[in-house]
Amino acid sequence: MYKLSISTSGSFISACLHEDKLIGSLIFKSSQGSTNLLLNEIDELLIKTHVQKKDLGAIYLDTGPGYYTGLRIGYSVAQGIGGSLGIPLVPVNGLDSLAFAAHTSHRKICAIIDIKRGEFAFCTYKPVPGGVVRETEPEIINSESLKAKLSDDAEKKLLVGNWDVIPEYNLPNDSNAKLADPKVVTAETIFSVGERLFQNNKFPNFNEISINYMREPDISLSQSALEKKVEFND
Amino acid sequence: MFEDKVILGFETSCDETAIAVMKNNKLLVNKISSQVDIHEKFGGVVPEVASRAHSEMIRNLFHLSLKEAQLELSDIDLIASTDGPGLVGSLVVGYNFAKSVAWSLEKPFLPIDHMVGHLSAPLIEHPQLDPPFLSLLVSGGHSQIVLVEEWEKYELLGSTIDDAAGEAFDKLSRYCGFGFPGGPAIQKLSEGGDESKIALPRPKTSGEFDYSFSGLKTAAMYYLRDLKKEDEVSRRDFAASYQEAIVDSLMGVFERAVKETNVPTISGGGGVIANRRLREKLAIFAEKNNKNIYLPSPILSTDNAAMICSAAQKNLTTKDLNINDVRLSSIIN
Ligand SMILES: [Zn+2]
Repeated sequence: MYKLSISTSGSFISACLHEDKLIGSLIFKSSQGSTNLLLNEIDELLIKTHVQKKDLGAIYLDTGPGYYTGLRIGYSVAQGIGGSLGIPLVPVNGLDSLAFAAHTSHRKICAIIDIKRGEFAFCTYKPVPGGVVRETEPEIINSESLKAKLSDDAEKKLLVGNWDVIPEYNLPNDSNAKLADPKVVTAETIFSVGERLFQNNKFPNFNEISINYMREPDISLSQSALEKKVEFND
Repeated sequence: MFEDKVILGFETSCDETAIAVMKNNKLLVNKISSQVDIHEKFGGVVPEVASRAHSEMIRNLFHLSLKEAQLELSDIDLIASTDGPGLVGSLVVGYNFAKSVAWSLEKPFLPIDHMVGHLSAPLIEHPQLDPPFLSLLVSGGHSQIVLVEEWEKYELLGSTIDDAAGEAFDKLSRYCGFGFPGGPAIQKLSEGGDESKIALPRPKTSGEFDYSFSGLKTAAMYYLRDLKKEDEVSRRDFAASYQEAIVDSLMGVFERAVKETNVPTISGGGGVIANRRLREKLAIFAEKNNKNIYLPSPILSTDNAAMICSAAQKNLTTKDLNINDVRLSSIIN
């Protein structure tokens, strides 16, 4: 049985195919045309690895946090494939996948993901034998508060994820905080967590899956226009 | 031509998540999951809200559609989806979902222009609709007069230079607190109202067959701003007068275009075509001038996926009606 992992939440789009081990992967920079490219590239990946669609057994999907449009493209493609082939869709949180990828360390792990507008999704993890556990719930933070938070904490920690997009003056520069890899969520970091969830049957039904936007949608319409009172004669 | 095929169609260009199944020009399923309730509290369609709702809705709707059509996935021959124009965040959901279904089932995928969908909608109930004809396409997102010389040969004769006709309804409706969407709210209020009570302008444009609605909207807002209780204008009278002004504006230009092109047949599409007063006036005009008229019923006038199936059945894939429109299938390649 083959598993397809997909990540579209950031500035790179990636997919990979595993049987027992990795048998093929692709990664490309996200651009305006990514909407068409993702499915075309997955098609290429299957052709190159001689894998039949009917032999796919599960899809592991990066459900964010990250960039909204990218997330929805990945979600739509994964749902279309999963819904048509009748195979499970396993949602994986990107922050969890970053922390899990760094779990060999004995340090506490701080995972961050860029969600645009100068804000980041942030979550801390404690390494445990064989993995990591969340120490906090994911939250939204800007880079100033992130620096303050990390400086206040004397514990030794690893910073993984999109720290490279934070201006240098807002990065901690003490010996307690180490900047580390992975810097981006990829299909492969998603696979590592997805595979565990799938093997342990820890994934929801398709209609209980949702994207981790972490922010309410932007409302650009003027609410004040709704309050206009016109003096009609009735 | 795909007349004998089972076609699965998707439409998510704005605020309706829609899926339809068609076979032999017969609609097996026409599902529309409207987001009106969600957008009502904002008084308009909020793109990010729409796009999130499509994502949450589409897979359930897909399973439900197949179940209602009593079809297996393997019964589907062809998949079609709107690829533009529309709200990009909304389009990507339906388009990518549909394309992935086609890929998984190894079936052909047809990208369909949303406006070509509207042009083909009347075919579902009026298969005798045959070019050449002139179509009035009016909704919250578009106001166009399109000459269909033959299928796949379209000429955009005119469009709005500012607001779409549906927007003119929505904006005033929001201003008056009548509700969203504005067209149906104003139509309902206009019943029994006096459409000649308030003199509102019928705007003209320099383009021969173009529309403009922002002047009418502003004139109506100024009128309401200065309205006093003693003027004795009821909501009914205002709604009827405003609706009449929009309908008259639409008819004026359209009538000139019909006379100029001398087509034997007229048609229409889009949410505003569901407006009762507009349908009435189009019918009277057709009768007087001896034209065939084929309008889609209201449910097929507003955005739906049946029209996408209808276009796909005739193999009417994407054709640029307006080269400035964003279209997913043309962003790369
Ligand atoms: Zn439309």
